[in-house]
Amino acid sequence: MKKIYKTLNFSALTLFALLTVNSTTFAQEEATADTVVQEKPVDKPVRPAFESGLLFDNATTTLYPAKTLEFVLQHRFGIIDTKDNNYDMAGIYGAANIRIGLNYSITKNFAFGAGTMKFNKMTDLQFKYRAIEQTRSNSIPVTIVLYEVVGIDGNKENKWDQNPATDGTSTFKFANRMSYFTQLIVSRRFNDQFSLQLAGAFTHYNRVDSVYDHDRVSVSFAGRYKFSPQMSIVLSGDFPLDIKPLYDFKKASTASTVIYNKPNLCAGIEISTSAHAFHIYVASAQGILPQESTMWNKNDFFHGGILIGFNMTRLWNF
Amino acid sequence: MKNSIKLIVIFCTAIIFVTANMAMAQKAGGPWTVPAKYKAMKSTVKAGDASINTVGKEAFNKHCKSCHGAKGLGDGPKAANLKTSTGNFSAAKFQAQADGDLYYMSFIGRDEMPNFEKKITDEADRWAVIGYIRTLKK
Repeated sequence: MKKIYKTLNFSALTLFALLTVNSTTFAQEEATADTVVQEKPVDKPVRPAFESGLLFDNATTTLYPAKTLEFVLQHRFGIIDTKDNNYDMAGIYGAANIRIGLNYSITKNFAFGAGTMKFNKMTDLQFKYRAIEQTRSNSIPVTIVLYEVVGIDGNKENKWDQNPATDGTSTFKFANRMSYFTQLIVSRRFNDQFSLQLAGAFTHYNRVDSVYDHDRVSVSFAGRYKFSPQMSIVLSGDFPLDIKPLYDFKKASTASTVIYNKPNLCAGIEISTSAHAFHIYVASAQGILPQESTMWNKNDFFHGGILIGFNMTRLWNF
Repeated sequence: MKNSIKLIVIFCTAIIFVTANMAMAQKAGGPWTVPAKYKAMKSTVKAGDASINTVGKEAFNKHCKSCHGAKGLGDGPKAANLKTSTGNFSAAKFQAQADGDLYYMSFIGRDEMPNFEKKITDEADRWAVIGYIRTLKK
């Protein structure tokens, strides 16, 4: 499976390189054409499909103008406990997860980000590259973005090696901490109110316990309906796919079902202002980082596995 | 005698409040110096264009309303914290200004009025905002 991941990673990098070269070539052609034929109408890109680069638990195809810095604060309260009467005030007093991060748009098509999160003391590096942008004439009907998140688990070594040898024979390696989430997102802005995006992703953890898989293939969707100039209703979902031949543990396991993987569903509202986006919603996954939500979510949205989440973003232009 | 002291105290307190309010009052913004390049600009969005009440209105609500108010009267929730009055977009004097002047004031800005070139990047969208501001005339 590691070989498959390496191949996929190589393919993604090759695709990324090709798209970068292609964009540069197109840009040069357009500049040349402009100087020759002044009257040629410019086919402008559509306005962004979403207000923010983040939509609940999903990244969107929205990128900001070059030299824009975005501060992101993501918070997930504990599960709303309806049975145990723990007096946790709809999960607000429960164990929460929180992440803070910064994203910077180096060009209008490329953004780089970094952040850190409470669960697993996870530090992440991520980038987003817009390969294709939907146009107003509909000559290009969709926007396509490549999104990559690299996670570094910050737990102590004994998470992976419970009896670390003192003579240098420990099985722990730094690479054990690494996890990867690679996603291709396709979005379309249908009109001023309605936008939709679909995505396919591959998640890989370098080292997991023996009864878990290293890999997960998943699909996601996110849609918004804008009902006022600043407010939208948003629905989104992430669905891990049960592809037994692809997963090492599931393939080898004789157990009829492995139930540690549940879809993550979200529903709520988005409020956007000039420099901020606010999300308040209910969700089932508490992982925040996409690889954590995709690989480890055990909460069932329709069977008591709901929690309250919110995001806040702030933009600065330079 | 006691009443006289009370009157003096009330009078002094009133003086302090009035002086403090005068010190905190917003000043009107001075005249704008608009470069010729912007003065010569003409709107590419004609009055009545559909984009004015969709794109223009939406962008105004998102970027301008918090200071300028929903109807451009300068009564947005952030306006009171500004040192400079945000003006009244419905006034005839404001509306008499040329398109290019409004464009410069709206998107280039100065002092407390931020630059919005990177928030509203499309030229046609900017003119739709100016078009929407024109509809706020009384």
